[in-house]
Amino acid sequence: MEVETSSSSTASLVDKAVVPGDIVLDLTSMSDQTIRLGAGLRQYSDVLSVVKAGKLKFKKPNKYWVESSQKRYAPSVEDTVLGIVVDARADNFLVDIKGPTLAFLPVLAFEGGTRRNIPKFEIGTLLYVRVVKANSCMNPELSCTDASGKAAEFGSLKEGYMFDTSTGLARMLLSSPTCPILEALGRKLSYEIAVGLNGRVWVNASSPSTVILVSNAIMRSEFLSDVQQKILVEKLMQRVQG
Amino acid sequence: MSAGEENIATPGEILGDSSQFIAGKGTYLAPNGRNIHASLTGQRRLVPPPPDSAEKRLTVEVVGHKTRGAVPEPGVVVIARVTRVMARMASADIMCVESKAVKEKFTGIIRQQDVRATEIDKVDMYQSFRPGDIVKAEVLSLGDARAYYLSTAKNELGVVSAQSIAGATMVPISWTDMQCPSTGQVEKRKVAKVL
Repeated sequence: MEVETSSSSTASLVDKAVVPGDIVLDLTSMSDQTIRLGAGLRQYSDVLSVVKAGKLKFKKPNKYWVESSQKRYAPSVEDTVLGIVVDARADNFLVDIKGPTLAFLPVLAFEGGTRRNIPKFEIGTLLYVRVVKANSCMNPELSCTDASGKAAEFGSLKEGYMFDTSTGLARMLLSSPTCPILEALGRKLSYEIAVGLNGRVWVNASSPSTVILVSNAIMRSEFLSDVQQKILVEKLMQRVQG
Repeated sequence: MSAGEENIATPGEILGDSSQFIAGKGTYLAPNGRNIHASLTGQRRLVPPPPDSAEKRLTVEVVGHKTRGAVPEPGVVVIARVTRVMARMASADIMCVESKAVKEKFTGIIRQQDVRATEIDKVDMYQSFRPGDIVKAEVLSLGDARAYYLSTAKNELGVVSAQSIAGATMVPISWTDMQCPSTGQVEKRKVAKVL
């Protein structure tokens, strides 16, 4: 069996599906250039190869990264996620953020947090939090304040409904300009939504039927194009009102 | 009873009679009060009685031929391998005491305030050690039941050898940085100033 040489210099892999082992760039031909590598890419002496399956992305002038969508979440710094309180210890809460380990939320990591006004979260409380420290050997650390110390919408989410999605859908819902499905739903209905980059979405509205409608529409919209998303919303509204 | 060069005794072996010898280190008197048995494996040794005592009998001892493994004491410099890094401390397995390898496993803890001498409350454990690093540390105290307390708060203490994420042994650049030779990536550690 012949082994093909892997120098695909004619076809660029940008915006195509890549698997671990694919070679993105051969660096022997380029010298004196700075290339920035994002997630999913690694340099092995003079070859840039893929280590995570997904879609290769490129941003001018020199940024490459691999975008992939999983059900599992790998904690990374400055992500905003939805966590569920699992336990309360003396100096931090243990929060499940769908990662490999539980995360620690320090008891003082709230706006104006002191030892006297520690919030009392019950087990099972849903929290909107920000990842402060995340690395491979320690439990991630969270915070309910933004970088300047303000509360900024972080904290517990009351009522509503929370469901799990893939990380790719969560990123799509958070993209700007606003994702078409959210815009189309917002034109007809009024609802509140919080999206966590760890693949959790929380929806709240005045009536349960609205919550169900919005949640179902979001869950079905992951692989639809913009136009298809708008059509989905129209069909759902017709069925409800008709 | 063996004589001459073959002075090795094994546990249980009868070394002599209690009328002729006194039981010394590594030996014991049998319940019947007559025989002296060895309790260790080692060299049989006879020690004459002190000159001004009324005792006429020699003391028979068995000296273990293996020296005991090294044990960490407060103040000695040890070489340890980091096993876990947590928010406020890192735990390490002590491998050598000064230059002797240990025979049994000892655990040490490097607390956040013992990592370096300056700005001890701003220490980030993850930027000082990673699991698998070899560190040179000084034993502060016997610590608690679980582990010795270690310190790297001197220039010559800290990470001696570490592997990068790519798997290559890193080269120290400064007292806070080490660089991987194959990818050029710089990683943060509390590096020991090895002369």
